[in-house]
Amino acid sequence: MLQNLLALRQITRRTISTASLRQFENKVPEKQKLFQEDNGIPVHLKGGIADAVLYRATMLLTIGGTAYPIYLLAMASFPKKQI
Amino acid sequence: MTHQMHAYHMVNPSPWPLTGALSALLITSGLMMWFHSNSIFLLVLGLITNILTMFQWWRDIIREGTFQGHHTPIVQKGLRYGMILFIISEVLFFTGFFWAFYHSSLVPTTELGGYWPPAGIKPLNPLEVPLLNTAVLLASGVSVTWAHHSILEKDRINAIQALIVTISLGLYFTLLQIMEYYESPFTIADSVYGSTFFMATGFHGFHVIIGSSFLFICLMRQLKFHFTSNHHFGFEAAAWYWHFVDVVWLFLYVSIYWWGS
Repeated sequence: MLQNLLALRQITRRTISTASLRQFENKVPEKQKLFQEDNGIPVHLKGGIADAVLYRATMLLTIGGTAYPIYLLAMASFPKKQI
Repeated sequence: MTHQMHAYHMVNPSPWPLTGALSALLITSGLMMWFHSNSIFLLVLGLITNILTMFQWWRDIIREGTFQGHHTPIVQKGLRYGMILFIISEVLFFTGFFWAFYHSSLVPTTELGGYWPPAGIKPLNPLEVPLLNTAVLLASGVSVTWAHHSILEKDRINAIQALIVTISLGLYFTLLQIMEYYESPFTIADSVYGSTFFMATGFHGFHVIIGSSFLFICLMRQLKFHFTSNHHFGFEAAAWYWHFVDVVWLFLYVSIYWWGS
């Protein structure tokens, strides 16, 4: 009786864990083919349009954002005269 | 197409070192603006660009290793040395905070009453939540080892379960510490006791969050079949980092929570 109960617990545990994992297929070979294509594109852009969008956004925010502290530094370097 | 005649990895030119350095500038100048000019705009911009850089840089490393096959044994050796040296640098970082703690607690000044814990400080009971936290992190060290053995034995489901257990324990630790911080009878401003306590445990907690995040990425990669039984350095690096975080806690517990009370 106890053995049956233990077996039942094992089956439900395994079913629950494998059921939700079945939606994951191994897509690594596809990715390997995509990233090994001989098209001269550097790795940070090789994944597609999303890469380019993210790259541009990051560069815009960092380089654009750097202008602001440089401006603040310029302002802070020349203190306003007090009357 | 020309091919390399060596086993090393000559990386494609990458913009992320530049964006990383600029994000550091934005974070530091952002801190100045927050402290002196009551503005968090630059700081937030710096943090966002920092996260964007980290995401894309590490995404590219995964592409180079798992998808392009550049992580030959010798390249992997270099990555191992790199991770070990980084963890050593973190050990030295924490050494500073432990030095500060022992400097102040071994020779308590007259302002503190000449003893430790100082006058007026009611330290946390080391046998309550801090002991639970110790058990939680030690258990997570066991579960991360379980995960490693599962990966080595090609046991996909157990590896996933073990990673989930480890990450959950890490989150549980973090939640317990947040609760402790909220309920604490002393603050960071309460003499050198408060300073040393919160600087050391605060940075430790930050490292727990980093370690949990690294393990979470490993879980995602394990779900996506990135790790093989004989090549899974990303996971090993995360596991090393996690053990380091655990050891720092043990030192914190013995020194600050236990001896220091």
